[in-house]
Amino acid sequence: MPRKNRDFPARLAIAVLILVCGCLLSSARLVLEAPRGHIPDEIARRSDLRFAGLKAALPTEGVVGYTGSSADSIGYYYLAQYALAPLVLDHSLNHPLIVGNFPFAAPQLPANLEVLRDFGNGVLLLASKDEP
Amino acid sequence: MVPGLAALQCFGLGLAIVSTGWTRAASPAEKMLKFFLSAGYGLGAFSILYLVLRVVGGASLLSMDVVALALFLVAWLLTGRLLPAATVSPAADDDSPGWLRGSITAGFAAGLCAALYSAVRRTIAYPNGEGWDAFAIWNLHARFLFRGGAGWREGFSGFIPWSHPDYPLLLPAAIAHFWSYVGHETYAVPATIGLVFTIATVGVLFSALLILRGRNVAMLGGLALMATPSFIEQGTSQYADIPLSFFILATVVMLCLSDASVGASLPPPGWIALAGLAAGFAAWTKNEGLLFFCSLLFSGFWMLAGGQRVGETGETLARPRSFLLLVVAALPILLIILWFKRVIAPPGDLFVYSATTFHQLSDLARYAAIGKWFGKQFFRFGHWLWVPGSLLVVGIFPAFRHWGAQNRGDRVAAGQQTGFRVCVAALTITLCGYFVIYVITPYAVYWHLRFSLNRLFLQLWPSAIFLCFLRIGIVGSKLRPSERSQNEV
Repeated sequence: MPRKNRDFPARLAIAVLILVCGCLLSSARLVLEAPRGHIPDEIARRSDLRFAGLKAALPTEGVVGYTGSSADSIGYYYLAQYALAPLVLDHSLNHPLIVGNFPFAAPQLPANLEVLRDFGNGVLLLASKDEP
Repeated sequence: MVPGLAALQCFGLGLAIVSTGWTRAASPAEKMLKFFLSAGYGLGAFSILYLVLRVVGGASLLSMDVVALALFLVAWLLTGRLLPAATVSPAADDDSPGWLRGSITAGFAAGLCAALYSAVRRTIAYPNGEGWDAFAIWNLHARFLFRGGAGWREGFSGFIPWSHPDYPLLLPAAIAHFWSYVGHETYAVPATIGLVFTIATVGVLFSALLILRGRNVAMLGGLALMATPSFIEQGTSQYADIPLSFFILATVVMLCLSDASVGASLPPPGWIALAGLAAGFAAWTKNEGLLFFCSLLFSGFWMLAGGQRVGETGETLARPRSFLLLVVAALPILLIILWFKRVIAPPGDLFVYSATTFHQLSDLARYAAIGKWFGKQFFRFGHWLWVPGSLLVVGIFPAFRHWGAQNRGDRVAAGQQTGFRVCVAALTITLCGYFVIYVITPYAVYWHLRFSLNRLFLQLWPSAIFLCFLRIGIVGSKLRPSERSQNEV
């Protein structure tokens, strides 16, 4: 038969207290590092708001091309894709319509591309002269 | 009004599913566990229903949801009559001094307040989620499902490789389901779903330990999870790792509850089925969930074969019927995953470069580097302040064990433990699987480790806490009557 435990050992109590205190330290970090005040919604600003004009000028579905400046990280491509879904952006120039995304500097476009419309903020609608 | 009704419909569906497998919850702790499980199961079911509607077309979403709810309500009534009610005799608390119980309670309350405060602040501050994966993978896929019309499949083509079009769709389809009810996209939906999974994971951990090991152990386990800053950060980032951790934990909890069930000579089939369903939902959440499911099957099969060899077939998963039930419960979801992977999604990015795979597998330095990173990450993944939570959870074990051995002798029985052993084996194999993925990854291994390993650890962390505190409870708290009787034999 198991013995009845009458005296809770101090060693065990200390272990439990260390666990509780250790956890509370990290809980304090959660509180201290919780974001405060108004934080601008960067994703909406760099995605939905920035591409709103272009979205209205594009077909609602299908696949179009995409190009961006060399400084344009893959992140900018995905922000454009996020805004323009369900239209699929293929990171290539082999399409009649191409989305140009140049948030930092004026674009250096290849000769076979022409600008159909400039939506500002580095957002361009381009057409390929090679594609039918 | 509409979002509230949609949430009610989702929760009702989850409750009907859970109640079909668990017909009677006797204690408040059992009711609490059913409540938190229902939230996750409901979201899982919502995602499946939405995808089926997307594929089949025709019917309205509302009518489909109502029919599904009605079917599960009928199933609930039927199983209530046909299946024997399974329950667990609630654990008594340990006989620790009042001041210690008070300290644990105060610590738990403080940890809960801190976690809730942080989670809510983060949800408000980052309505689009925090980090790349939220918008580039999960919410993007939800947009393709919701906005895509008949051409939704194009969003899962190989044109957008970094959005991982082969990732399963539990989270995106659940989000799209709610957007369809609301009639437009709103950031509140993915943000709320993230919050619900975070809270429900803590709730499942706490209430399961409350049932099996008593209040003090439950509060310690709950505190260990809530005080993991990365858990709260990831939970509100709109990533799929915490939803996956929820379903892995739900699987583990249902299997361990089956070990402890009383009043039935066989493992409760409803609980095994709920475990199988949760494992299926895990596979439908992320590819790592598929790995967990395979690990669970392997562990179950291993236990089945081993149990038959040594004549322990009376235990949970060491019965062919239980093992089959686990698989059958997950089968509908597995078929959907199979269809998605075969018909819709392109091949995964990790298995496409077969020429380099062999070279990487034979590179021993790579194993050492990954092993070293795993070791470091064990102490770091939670973003803890000063004292790693992993160390705290593991470190408390010897103290409890020493006390248990002193007070009860070495014959501390825990009743049937097949479910426990299967879960430990499944999690260990899953962890080994993660290791192998890093060995064969086509990406730069340090980059891959740096940006993903902490999240992989988090997927298993709630289950690891649960299993660890379950063992601690065996030696540290009073035995339940069923365990006591076995111990006395």
